[in-house]
Amino acid sequence: MYGYILRRLVFGGLTVLGVSIVVFAVLRVLPGDPLVAIFGPEGFTKLSEAERARYMADLGLSDPLIVQYLHWMGDILRGDLGRSFFRAESVADMLSRRGPLTAEIALIAVVLSWIVGIPVAIVSALKPNSLGDNVSRFFSILFLAIPGFWFGMLIVLACLFWFGYRAPMGGASLWADPWANLQIVIGPAVVLGLGQAAYIARMARSSLLEVIREDYVRTARAKGLPGRLVISIHALPNALLPVVTLSGILMGFVLAGSIPVERAFATPGLGFAMYIAVYERDVFVMQNLVFLYSIVFVMLNILIDVTIAWLDPRIRYR
Amino acid sequence: MTAADPDTALPLDPAIAATRELAPPGPWRRFGRGLRNFVRRSPLSAFWGVVAAAIIIVAVAAPVLAPYEPLKSDFRHMTKPPAAPHYFGTDQIGRDTLSRVIYGSRASLTVAIGAVLFGTTLGALWGLASGYFGGRFDIVSQRLIEFLQSFPDLILAMAIAMALGAGFGTVIVAIAITRIPFGGRVIRAVVLSLKEMSYVEAARGLGASHLRMMARHILPQCIAPYLILATTHLGVAIIIEASLGFLGVGIPPPTPTWGNMLADSLNAGLVPPWWLVLFPGCAITVTVLAFSLLGDGIRDLVDPRLRGAVSVRGGKAAAL
Repeated sequence: MYGYILRRLVFGGLTVLGVSIVVFAVLRVLPGDPLVAIFGPEGFTKLSEAERARYMADLGLSDPLIVQYLHWMGDILRGDLGRSFFRAESVADMLSRRGPLTAEIALIAVVLSWIVGIPVAIVSALKPNSLGDNVSRFFSILFLAIPGFWFGMLIVLACLFWFGYRAPMGGASLWADPWANLQIVIGPAVVLGLGQAAYIARMARSSLLEVIREDYVRTARAKGLPGRLVISIHALPNALLPVVTLSGILMGFVLAGSIPVERAFATPGLGFAMYIAVYERDVFVMQNLVFLYSIVFVMLNILIDVTIAWLDPRIRYR
Repeated sequence: MTAADPDTALPLDPAIAATRELAPPGPWRRFGRGLRNFVRRSPLSAFWGVVAAAIIIVAVAAPVLAPYEPLKSDFRHMTKPPAAPHYFGTDQIGRDTLSRVIYGSRASLTVAIGAVLFGTTLGALWGLASGYFGGRFDIVSQRLIEFLQSFPDLILAMAIAMALGAGFGTVIVAIAITRIPFGGRVIRAVVLSLKEMSYVEAARGLGASHLRMMARHILPQCIAPYLILATTHLGVAIIIEASLGFLGVGIPPPTPTWGNMLADSLNAGLVPPWWLVLFPGCAITVTVLAFSLLGDGIRDLVDPRLRGAVSVRGGKAAAL
């Protein structure tokens, strides 16, 4: 087990290193002048050559790429995540202020996806092709097709129209004002959670259908165990293994999906910060946020892999 | 029999005529038979296939179907709710929403088809080579693909689209790159099982070159899974395209896309008019639904074994 964890960690470390190189390459090496991004195409043409060179030097963009990369890595390792071109706020401040909201959204979304997805899958799998099965499959396919951010916009509109209600605009921390915090977080969390629940329900249904046909489940039934116990003690634990893995993969999609969804709800979370960075072409903030998101995603997947290995000993020896 | 027959003048021996009946039908006949089979076996998927075809026709015939110019402002009708001349209402500078939704299908479909054509195909060919050659090349390829998957796809597409600057080509490239790993994984798995088939072994025994083996003997078997993959990924690509447009890194305005129309609606004031939100979103949902369900239907028909391998929206299950 420890060997397995170690292997995963080493591989994860390598992945993070690779991710940093790709992020750097995408945002710095690809064509597209950061000065154009900062000053806009008009402002850029007004700058003289000397001014351009000075700005580039100030921003550390005239060094060789390798040096720039090493500088960036050094900064990250020292915990300096850089700051925005346009705002006084550093990325670290942004993280501490906005990060918790997005983390709450992601957590609630995952919990919700399980609470909704698994029971639906059980109902579906126990009576395949029944009315309940068809209805739940229809809804899961529908929720896979609906873009989360649009669903979010509809919810915001519906609340405004019918109840004249709008979630509080400013940020509110969980500890200072839990009620306002919940109102801010619940919308995006429900949208992302339902979107994920659709995947979970599909996956759990097909996995449960497979497991139910196994011999040991038939044995359990044959020895006279009540149906409910057969499912909950014998079938579910094995059927849920692939669902746990899927949940880890989906975490990445919650993190990414929260960007447009937070924009739709105007939630002051990290996803919204990412949207602003993209909108303002704020290369440094973007670079650091993309890197952070990817690290979180890689780490979550290691955590999931280890959990799976702990739950299912067969995997450790592969 | 037909005019092409040289011996039409002579009465045909019934035995020979019978053998002609037994001859394998031409590709069009086979296609027609397959289509009939598809409609009979899964009418629901066939229905969604018709919807998908209709959406493609709408995109192609947009200039004919759209009642107004998508870019022309009518300042007498600004932010009007749906009513007689403008059935989907107008936006804040008086552009007809129905026309814009119709034209929006062009951007969405061009980007989605382009991205799938490049990304999924490149991935599929990569998977073909990696599965076929195996060994060190395969191991390195697998690690690279796993690595590509360590980015959430929207974030990767966003970063690339932002770095390259807005435009049709860049959005296609940005989405295509995120599609590569899925094509690679699924096709590799198919190739791995095909490689063990005895007919492939026989071809190898006859001394076929690697290129011939891949092109003549393995590739044709990969077409069905590729089609399923491509159809379902069209839906994913459309959602990513809309998200990029919504975040302002997609195809830039004034070109109408469903994503940038939704983004525009948020700029219309504190409360976006409902018709500007409802219609583009419905267009996205229906389109994605059509392509996903069509893909599902083709999969069930062609190869029920693939049920687990290629799931709706991006073969995420294949990543397990």
